[in-house]
Amino acid sequence: MTSKSWIKKGIRDAFPIITAYFPIAITFGVLSASSAIPNDITFLISAWIFAGGAQFILISLAATGISFESMVVTILLVNARHILYGTTLGAALGQWREKHKWLFAFGMTDEVYAVASGQAKSGLPTPYLFSLMLGAYISWVAGTLVGIWLGNIFPASITNILNFAMPALFTALLFNAARNRYQGISAIIGGLIATIGTIYHENSLGLVAGSLLGATIGFLLSRKNKEA
Amino acid sequence: MSMQQVLFAVILIGLGTYLFRAGSLSLGSRVKWPDSAKRWLDQVTPAILGALLAPLILTNHSHLVIPWNNAGFIALVPTGYIAWKTKHLLWTVATGIISYAIILYFIHR
Repeated sequence: MTSKSWIKKGIRDAFPIITAYFPIAITFGVLSASSAIPNDITFLISAWIFAGGAQFILISLAATGISFESMVVTILLVNARHILYGTTLGAALGQWREKHKWLFAFGMTDEVYAVASGQAKSGLPTPYLFSLMLGAYISWVAGTLVGIWLGNIFPASITNILNFAMPALFTALLFNAARNRYQGISAIIGGLIATIGTIYHENSLGLVAGSLLGATIGFLLSRKNKEA
Repeated sequence: MSMQQVLFAVILIGLGTYLFRAGSLSLGSRVKWPDSAKRWLDQVTPAILGALLAPLILTNHSHLVIPWNNAGFIALVPTGYIAWKTKHLLWTVATGIISYAIILYFIHR
């Protein structure tokens, strides 16, 4: 295949991501703009972090009284799964120049990774992955801009209702992420600890402790079961 | 949190996320990660999502709220059902927003 046909294939494969990202990015823009976050920071979040779930968590935490450190730690923990993606996909990019790997890495979101790893067996040339990644990125940033514009003109009654998009999105992500019993246990323990933390006005501690303990207990239980 | 802190957090989080992505992609072809590290990371996302979601729907101003008096909690039932059935982000979010709007309408009527 020529470079041109790889680019075409990349854009074609990016299409489902583009159509999924655009409305979600609009929702993000609306929520961020209608909470107290200035438009330029909302834009920066999408353009610089470019990680859907983490961005929603960020604006949700910014609105609470959580500490700066807990916010950074929690969101980096959320994004730590990208290490898994990089290690698995990296093995398929052995022929790539180092410079290209570092450029592509910027756009390696969950969905880009999912499509790319499905394609890994038939080869991942640079024009293919770059067009896939750029398609997703442009859609995400453009959707955010539309969302910022809408967020500034929507009345409070609508943005009030749209606020439920956040728990709804977390629910959707949770059902996608918790595929087995142990991941379900991790989620429940994380939720319990965070709720106890919130009741005792220790939101930050509850969130970080819930995430770490939930994950560790789920992991230990799954290991124990595997050994048994 | 002040906007300056939010801005600083955004810069740090973006940088950290990029280093996770780029570092692992660059090392991926050379280093083999222990299986247990991968499996622990597999548990982190559900744990964090549980920790984020539960206080949002179970508490209000640091107090536990009774589930059936709580629009968010009730709206989560159809939302969770659609999430489980379709595993589709957009359908789930749309179901959530519509059910929440309907429930709020009945509560405030």
